[in-house]
Amino acid sequence: MVIISLLIRLRRLSCLLVLLVALTPAWSKPKPKPQADLTVRPLPADRTTIVSLRRPAEQQLREFRAQREFQYVEVKSEHSAWDLFWARVWQWFSSLLATRGGRIMWEYGIYALLLIGFVFVVLKLMQVDITRAFGRAPRRSSLAYDTTTEDIHTLDFSALLAEAEATGNYRLAVRLGYLQVLKQLTDQGLIQWQPEKTNHDYVHELGASSLRPPFRELTQQFEYVWYGEQNDLSAAQYALARDARVAFQRQLASTRHAA
Amino acid sequence: MENNSPLPFSAADDAAPETGAAATSAFAPRTDLSGLSRHAEAIRQELSKIIVGQHALAELLLTAILADGHVLLEGVPGVAKTLTAKLLARTLAVSFSRLQFTPDLMPSDVLGTSVFLPNKSEFEFRPGPIFASIVLIDEINRAPAKTQSALFEVMEERQITQDGTRYPMTDPFVVLATQNPIEQEGTYRLPEAQLDRFLFKLNVGYPTLEEEVAILQGHHSGLGGTSLERVQAVLTADDLRQLRAQVQRQHVEPKLLEYIARLVGQTRAHKGLYLGASPRASLSLLNGAKALAALRGRDFVTPEDVQYLAPHVLRHRILLTPEREMEGHTADDVVQQIVQQIEVPR
Repeated sequence: MVIISLLIRLRRLSCLLVLLVALTPAWSKPKPKPQADLTVRPLPADRTTIVSLRRPAEQQLREFRAQREFQYVEVKSEHSAWDLFWARVWQWFSSLLATRGGRIMWEYGIYALLLIGFVFVVLKLMQVDITRAFGRAPRRSSLAYDTTTEDIHTLDFSALLAEAEATGNYRLAVRLGYLQVLKQLTDQGLIQWQPEKTNHDYVHELGASSLRPPFRELTQQFEYVWYGEQNDLSAAQYALARDARVAFQRQLASTRHAA
Repeated sequence: MENNSPLPFSAADDAAPETGAAATSAFAPRTDLSGLSRHAEAIRQELSKIIVGQHALAELLLTAILADGHVLLEGVPGVAKTLTAKLLARTLAVSFSRLQFTPDLMPSDVLGTSVFLPNKSEFEFRPGPIFASIVLIDEINRAPAKTQSALFEVMEERQITQDGTRYPMTDPFVVLATQNPIEQEGTYRLPEAQLDRFLFKLNVGYPTLEEEVAILQGHHSGLGGTSLERVQAVLTADDLRQLRAQVQRQHVEPKLLEYIARLVGQTRAHKGLYLGASPRASLSLLNGAKALAALRGRDFVTPEDVQYLAPHVLRHRILLTPEREMEGHTADDVVQQIVQQIEVPR
């Protein structure tokens, strides 16, 4: 409020000053300074000098006109085939929308697109793999795991073992013998066969059974031969491994009969 | 290691599988590992003079030394992280250096610096404490990232470059670092690039009740304590180099290489992980498995070796997604999940 009243007073004061200045007598004003005579007078006509007209050379004019910078030809724009294509597309689209069916399709099409987008976002947020829905295989790493590992339930161990022994491939024979033992243990329900388990998982699964020590021995033999890459296994070494396996299989069979 | 930990890879799992030197004589190792076993046993004996329990930790430290890798020991204060590292260094007859990382530590405090000599009018490089065979970095995560970055070159390339001059480290060169969990006051998370340079990250847990009683009894009777003089050096640098060469010649079945690559590769595709492990992790897993197999008396690697080392190699190299972290999962949980998903080569 104080500021407003001050402003009003200042305004009144300024008005008073303006009035005072206007009423100041003429004698109080400064005298005008004497000015030079600036009246424009026409020059006297010079009738003696001959005015010569100067014209540009025709040749030079022609050269100027021939220069590219002076060619003011307006180039008319031409539509390309691509522009014409899009013009036709838009024309067709406009005509489509002009119909009643087109308008309905446009309206519901927008809603459908919004719905699809919403569902896609929800699925992505839920991390649902939708690639299978479109018949495409899921993305796999470049180093795909070997899916052709043996299925112990389908192998013909007798024939394969005989073949490996006959060809002197004792390393493979030890492997097949061990896999055969794993199958027999699985068939008797003593272990739960799963490809993700290690050999020592199966040793632990046997618990305090009397089968555990000989099976652990077989496991060690298999690991030394297979993971140790004992490709030059002798017949005598293989005979030891085979005898241990056969003895274990007999013990396993007797355990089954006792049960 | 953690004996009563709820983590999937606790001491119970750390126990050696039922295989090793006691295998059938007909299939004895083709490589003579008796020298390695003798040295390893001697180191274990020296460590057990002071340290009660922690057998799995001792085995993993030996594995890292044989695999030419650096080790990060993490645990709450008072669980003998630093003591174990000091004792291990003492069992090796090599140069030893200790660095206490603090928030104001500068890279030149670690690597060394060039000093101007007025009488010669030239600069002379004064090596820092990093120039030793065994370097114990205590409380490594109390220094800022700037100082941590100074370790990148030396940990990976075993050299430092100062003023355009290359200064190689001595062989062996092993960094044993200790840190408190990052939740502790005044600690920082180490850069991923640095974490990747550690072969293992070992979680040091509390001792069992029996072990803690044994610690108290030893201390009460005056036999315990931390008198390092009782620990003798039992392995020279030359011995260590020979043992490492032997470890490098271990047999690894080709399917096992694929198994390692699949394990590590799965960390990059796992939905619960924000950052997967690098190819350096695959190499670490391979080298570690070879060393562990040798320590266990075998001249070949088995899937158990790989599975056993997987959490120690991978836990510090992977980052969980925020969702997984909020659900209470740990890196060890995810590693165990991955191990259980991958088919074992047989």
